[in-house]
Amino acid sequence: MPLIRRDDAAPAPGQERREIPRDREGLIAQLDDKRPVARRRASRELAGDAGAVDALCDALEREQDEGCRHAMLTALLVTGGQRVQERLLPLLRSEDAALRNGAIEVLQGMPKLAAGYMDELLADPDSDVRIFAVNILESLRHERVPDWLRGVLERDDHVNVCAAAVDVLTEVGDDHCLDALRQLPARFPGEPFIAFAVRTAERRITGEERGDGR
Amino acid sequence: MTRVLVVDDAQTVRLYHRELLEQDGFDVDEAVNGLEALERLADTPYDLLLVDVNMPRMDGYTCVRRVRTDGPDIGVPVIMVTTEGAAGDREQALSAGANLHMAKPVQPEVLLSRVRLMSGVLS
Repeated sequence: MPLIRRDDAAPAPGQERREIPRDREGLIAQLDDKRPVARRRASRELAGDAGAVDALCDALEREQDEGCRHAMLTALLVTGGQRVQERLLPLLRSEDAALRNGAIEVLQGMPKLAAGYMDELLADPDSDVRIFAVNILESLRHERVPDWLRGVLERDDHVNVCAAAVDVLTEVGDDHCLDALRQLPARFPGEPFIAFAVRTAERRITGEERGDGR
Repeated sequence: MTRVLVVDDAQTVRLYHRELLEQDGFDVDEAVNGLEALERLADTPYDLLLVDVNMPRMDGYTCVRRVRTDGPDIGVPVIMVTTEGAAGDREQALSAGANLHMAKPVQPEVLLSRVRLMSGVLS
């Protein structure tokens, strides 16, 4: 006889639909439900509702369940817009790595808004925040990505920020980035990783194969 | 041969660590995030994990916590390598279950000496 897992705390199918309103207010209330399945479902149903962005972000910041966080982040990505961006940018300073990375992934999916905040983010006094800004650029489909990355190589004085930029350029860089790349090792002469990363990026951009007699 | 799993979303970092470690006689595999690392660990025994923190899909802290709680080898040595050098990051790494925390950029000789030590090559 097959075993059927049953959550005694969960209402029978159909019952919940009658007891809990599925409007915005009811769904927002369910973001605090004790059952992760209810929080996940409410998050999914709030996707696309611009009026629920703050409630979703508040819930995201206190949520510890991985699946619920994923559902909330997905809902925010589907909704998109200025308010989502405003609420997610501060999460780049969170001590919670999973929350930070979730925010980065959603921001990567909203390229049209990037021009409004990227210059400021890349000039942030906190080098970790600048690294996260470069991480956003990695998958951001925006025409200014190569320019932003070139600016990092030319101006940022933190080795890890520049290293992150070189890594992204390995994927998305073109001939216009080569000069800035080639000048970088001279700025960090004591860092063998930078010299290695620049050589790698250069080869990828120019189409050279590995084992070319380096 | 001593086998090391390098877990990092940055391909230049993975390549760099691979070259350094292979030149020193280690057998190296790569994973691009915590989830992929857990998948590799399910199939292959490793002598050491070299794990970054900030990665998409699953970060390094979550990955190491999973390794320590329900991985196939909960005692595998773990070095976490982070871009953040603050004391809080070291505490988070050790609290997640890492044996050692190192801040990027790590000098080659320092990395190799720690990997040799932690993987048991010197024992």
